[in-house]
Amino acid sequence: MNINVTYSTNSSVSQAVTEIKDSLKGNNTNTIIYFASSNYSQDELSNSMQKSFSNAKVLGCSTAGEIISNKMLKNSIVAMGLSDEVISDAYVDVMDDIGDLEQVNTIFKSMEEYYGEKVIDMDNSKYFGMVIMDGMSGKEERVMERIGELTNIEFIGGSAGDDLKFKTTWVHAKGKAYSNAAIIAIFKSKAKFEVLKTQSFKTLDKILVATKVNEDNREVLEFNGKNAVEEYAQLLNTTVDNVASKFMTNPIGIDVDKENNEFFVRSPQQIIDGKIKFYCNILENMEVELLESTDIVEDTKEAVKRLEAEKRKVAGIINFHCILRTLELESKNQTKEYAEIFRDIPTIGFSSYGEAYIGHINQTSTMLVFYK
Amino acid sequence: MAGQIKQLIDKIVDARAKGNKVVEGSIKAKLCLKGIIVNKYTEFSQDDPVIIEKIRVIAKEFDVKL
Repeated sequence: MNINVTYSTNSSVSQAVTEIKDSLKGNNTNTIIYFASSNYSQDELSNSMQKSFSNAKVLGCSTAGEIISNKMLKNSIVAMGLSDEVISDAYVDVMDDIGDLEQVNTIFKSMEEYYGEKVIDMDNSKYFGMVIMDGMSGKEERVMERIGELTNIEFIGGSAGDDLKFKTTWVHAKGKAYSNAAIIAIFKSKAKFEVLKTQSFKTLDKILVATKVNEDNREVLEFNGKNAVEEYAQLLNTTVDNVASKFMTNPIGIDVDKENNEFFVRSPQQIIDGKIKFYCNILENMEVELLESTDIVEDTKEAVKRLEAEKRKVAGIINFHCILRTLELESKNQTKEYAEIFRDIPTIGFSSYGEAYIGHINQTSTMLVFYK
Repeated sequence: MAGQIKQLIDKIVDARAKGNKVVEGSIKAKLCLKGIIVNKYTEFSQDDPVIIEKIRVIAKEFDVKL
């Protein structure tokens, strides 16, 4: 089964793409997925990659750092080539205005025409979706919600980054680079696959109800009927002046399956005028739980070990990995240890401004796993 | 009265998942992300009209007839 990965740290787009092409050409490659530092010229890169793999479906995005098998990199391009033994068909489209949700419906209609079947009826063991979104748009949750309404197949992906500049991110398809946009794709897979979602937190069993919110701005004004900042601080047994320092270790989560420690994390970003702004919206009257961080490296090791528990052999992984997790690994000098988990598995990934699986999530690693 | 919320949730899940366990899990997760924490509701839960109305709206979004 042909899943091959490669990378280039060459700062020249043309030379980097040549290196990638030399590594991935042949092998009946029909799909190329790549993730690249925002420091490359994005239009030039997308154009060059599509021309170099003219017979393949090619998609990618800009990042806040790249991941390949046993390395976490910066200022590089990582790429994965998948052969026709893995992917039998793919439809890739561009939502060129991420705020126009009707484009999701239009794209899905096109997919139905292409595949000759309704997306709502597609077999979720044969098809998976991928979505890569502008990480500065603030609109990812609405796109994921609309996708989830229209189909039962699993969509995985993330939000493009820009090396922590927080100015402009880019998504790539059809030889172009787009901002304020999303790439939406459905793949027909010959290989068995699954989605692994892993977040390293445990619940503190403290409930917050978001009693007053500004959904569009991703702000919470009140929790439990009290000022959001004060209530957050009180539940963490700290002061209002100190609470922001705990945001990374103590985000909140939506309880989807508490028995299995399954939370959808919402990470607080900053305090603005007595409100807490998050990296994902929180609905009014939504009940969430206060979380505490555990060990990213150990949790990920266990999760990857479980993938092969039933004598299945992992053939490749695409890892949409939250930049906040990367920053935590960097602060603990654990990036090498984390990357080593994937040493023997053809893996690419990137540090993202949000992750996508069922919905928009924070501080999570969502991985698409292919099996031999 | 009690239990209507769970009944409506189960109807949405059954209509979309059609017995597929993986899809069942993702529909329940989607409901949670829309503000309906599925595991909270049992056959003994009070029929909260605000939640029931919310679920009816969600059913339309999922193209499920209740």
